[in-house]
Amino acid sequence: MTTVTKQAMDVFVEETGGWVASQLEACTRCGMCAEACHFYQSSGNPEYAPVWKIELLRRAYEQRFTLVGKVKTLLGVNKRVTDEDLEHWSKLNYYACTVCNKCSMVCPMGIDLGSLLHEVRAGMAAAGLVPADLMAAVNKQLQEGSPLGMTEDVWDQRMEWVADEWEVDIPRDVKGADTMVVFSSIEVMKFPTNIAAIAKVLNTAGEKWTISSKAREVVNFGFYEGNVEHTKLFINRILEGARELGVKRIVVTECGHAYDALRWHAANWIPEANDFEVIHITGVLGELVESGRIKLKPGFFDGKGTITFHDACKIQRKGGHINEPREILKIIAPNAFKEMSPNREQSVCCGGGGGVIAIKDADPIRYDAFKLKIDQVNAVGAETVTMTCSNCRLQFTDCVDHFKLDWKITGLAQMVADALEE
Amino acid sequence: MSEDSIANELNKDGVSRRDFMKLCGLMAGMMGLEYLPPSAKNVIGGNLRSAYAPAQLVAKALSEKPRLPVIWLELQDCAGCSEALTRSQSPTLGNLVLNSITVEYHETLSAAAGFQAEEAKQAAMKKYAGQYILVVEGSVSPKDDGIYCTIGGKSSLSLLQEAAAGAAAIVATGNCAAFGGLPKAKPNPTGAKGVWEVIKDKPVVNIPGCPAIPEAFTGTLLHFLVFGALPELDNLHRPKMFYGNTIHDRCLRRPFYEAGKFAASYDDEGARKGYCLYKLGCKGPTTYNACAVIKWSQGLSFPVQSGHPCLGCSEPNFWDGGGFYQGQSAILDKPTAVLVGAAAGAGAVIGLGAAAANSAQKKAAKKHPEEKKE
Amino acid sequence: MTWTDVLTFARGPLFQASLLIFIAGMIYRLVRVIFLGWSPDKVKNKGSKAGGVVMAYLKSFLIWPFIPWVKNTFKKNPLIYIAGGIFHLGLFVVLVLGTAHMLVWKSLLGFGWSTLPLPIVDWMAAVTICAMVVLFINRLINPVLKLISGPAEWLNLLFVFLPMITGYILTHHLFFRYEVSYSIHMLCVDFLLIWIPFSRISHFIFYFFSKTIHGEEFGKRGVKA
Repeated sequence: MTTVTKQAMDVFVEETGGWVASQLEACTRCGMCAEACHFYQSSGNPEYAPVWKIELLRRAYEQRFTLVGKVKTLLGVNKRVTDEDLEHWSKLNYYACTVCNKCSMVCPMGIDLGSLLHEVRAGMAAAGLVPADLMAAVNKQLQEGSPLGMTEDVWDQRMEWVADEWEVDIPRDVKGADTMVVFSSIEVMKFPTNIAAIAKVLNTAGEKWTISSKAREVVNFGFYEGNVEHTKLFINRILEGARELGVKRIVVTECGHAYDALRWHAANWIPEANDFEVIHITGVLGELVESGRIKLKPGFFDGKGTITFHDACKIQRKGGHINEPREILKIIAPNAFKEMSPNREQSVCCGGGGGVIAIKDADPIRYDAFKLKIDQVNAVGAETVTMTCSNCRLQFTDCVDHFKLDWKITGLAQMVADALEE
Repeated sequence: MSEDSIANELNKDGVSRRDFMKLCGLMAGMMGLEYLPPSAKNVIGGNLRSAYAPAQLVAKALSEKPRLPVIWLELQDCAGCSEALTRSQSPTLGNLVLNSITVEYHETLSAAAGFQAEEAKQAAMKKYAGQYILVVEGSVSPKDDGIYCTIGGKSSLSLLQEAAAGAAAIVATGNCAAFGGLPKAKPNPTGAKGVWEVIKDKPVVNIPGCPAIPEAFTGTLLHFLVFGALPELDNLHRPKMFYGNTIHDRCLRRPFYEAGKFAASYDDEGARKGYCLYKLGCKGPTTYNACAVIKWSQGLSFPVQSGHPCLGCSEPNFWDGGGFYQGQSAILDKPTAVLVGAAAGAGAVIGLGAAAANSAQKKAAKKHPEEKKE
Repeated sequence: MTWTDVLTFARGPLFQASLLIFIAGMIYRLVRVIFLGWSPDKVKNKGSKAGGVVMAYLKSFLIWPFIPWVKNTFKKNPLIYIAGGIFHLGLFVVLVLGTAHMLVWKSLLGFGWSTLPLPIVDWMAAVTICAMVVLFINRLINPVLKLISGPAEWLNLLFVFLPMITGYILTHHLFFRYEVSYSIHMLCVDFLLIWIPFSRISHFIFYFFSKTIHGEEFGKRGVKA
């Protein structure tokens, strides 16, 4: 066994506790997960079946941990994991999976394939088999604080510019604030109107909030990489910022995976994460509307064409903020809003999450997957698509360009800010 | 004993020619004769075409042949088969058959007893050497030099072997003689066996049942009488003409089985309506016997018809076949709680061992530093 | 050695041994997995984990199997849903609600229960056998299944199919004498009992792990899954 294979296998073995093992044991090879995977559906490539993507983990488990595996080894009928295998599967894992977890929803056994795929990525990371583009982004985040070239200086300048350009107050490094908002570099660099929108909403609601120069970036490329150490490092930057400012609550703006990592996993890596309440901006918007702290102009977006909502995998399906967007859209676009099908926790992934959009070589696969989305949007005849994740927004905007579509892409926070009654 | 033909003997007893032919017809019917059995090729040529032909066949045989000598041994038995035979149906038919044979020796039925009877037996065996039919009732017990069953100081094994030596054929009547019966039930302390397991050099026909159906016994003797040979036998040496079908295949309650209507207890609605007794433990499906067709007491009834499940008494080891009232599909050897606990325990221990080995692997994997490509 | 002897053996000592191996094997499998270590979940819940688990089981057992079309993936491959569902339902009906098998349970547990009429069970068995054939063909032609199926999958199908088909032949008294069919059926069943703990057929036990985890994962996020 080469070092590369050994490193990967070691991680596979180390990660396989009762939680992983019992789920690997539960798989009956029924193949239903493939039917849910947008990459398989759009390309017809059977290797994109989720169960196949985690095959190396299963092989490691079978060969190292089970009686049947040991017997097969004795008889010489085992397929040993090789370097070639790992390289091949690296592509499957990183190019053709957004960890959207639709497969977990349809598995008759309820197997959490998304998390199992993360385990495989951990092995890949240890073996140094992360795609170069993605690794470059990780390194950028390690060194500069953000994968998108947003150094502290750049961040500084952008924030000032946004505050200036849109005439919003963006409190910075306010000690004793209630809420610390951490934006994603995608918004800072590509969708600055989002920042202005969120600032406007929070200010109107009278929220005591701040941004932190320590916790500048909510996006977590260590999570995409599958490297727990890197993931923790990036999360700790946020926690340090929160601790320094003494806030009670951390708000994750429109990024999906960041929310998943910070809200639903951080405490298991870093117990101190439980010192803070973590919530997504979608949840905040919902709270503010329900409590009446902000008032929305009813029907503000009616009459401007059909609007549909794209459920982001990590904010709706795996984040739980399914009802808030609908409550809001019912107020500001009661007639214009039409649901896509399938929707809510059954929605189809945009195809750009999980790090896929950062990998150039994965572009053809990514565009193929988006075709399913095109069909969905066209079926409902929508002209505007709104969402709560800026990575999705990035994917949508890129694909609208690529496919020469005439859709308008926006974010929910943006719409709320526009429809705000001052 | 007279060497006159059977027909003449009957005539002497006052049976008219007409009655005789009627009885021959009955006997032919009982044997199921429609076509000539293979063993009858020598007796009469061609097919039996007319309706009277089978009766005529029987009549012809009985007119020509002398009575058949029979030695009847009782070993580890209860005499039930003899009882059933002597109490059997139509007096004339039974008597006819019994009159076609001369029972030279029968412990239960003989007037004589003790050494007298034994001497008579020895004489008969000598006189009819090579011609007599040996009927055995009860199992033989060769274990421990045969001390578990002795008659007149001789073991059952030696008695059997002695009698078998001069027999033309052996008829093992009843489940005990055929397959070991009740004495063979677990744990079989006397080492009981069926006759055919012990006597290998003479043709043995098994007429199992507990008791054997009288007609099955008499019909077999009749066949031998008429055709001079034993009827066609199955792989357990049972005459196919009586043991060729299962109770289930000829059962009057079969339609209820097919429809899935079962009696759940002996006096419930289903039982009163005559539903199938499968749930009450009926072994009909695996039991080959003529009960459902010939029945008992002149075709009066048989256990299932009277509402009791078939015990499977014509099959080997029916006493150990899983309990008379346990379903036919039930398991024979139920594991005890102790065994189950032991199995579970063994599994748990091996599992813990494997888990420990695997956990050690995990620890070892953790120790290796993961190379982080920066 | 007659078929009756084979039958007595297969229903008696061999069955007992098979059952004990089955129990030992399943416990081994469970213990081996459970004692591999579990880490506690320190993440704060938003919704209820227990509620999520209840929903997950209700939906999986009681609701979706009977209205599968509401699931979006059903439209993509209705065949697997229907064939797989019928197979499992048929297995349950035959093994638990069929009189012949109920008597087996009764002899093992000491108590029995009411069963469905034989014609219904029989029809269900026939339909189940057809479903298995469909699943087999599907595994041959579906590209994903072709990729992920190894010898184990084919053998599993075969070893589960054999008791079903031999049981059907037995009940209908086809082709062979009753004790021959019965013996073959019992041999297939005994073999299956030994095979289960060492194959993926034991998924029926691990179902409870993965479904509970699934219910918890989504319940704690407040998502109805």
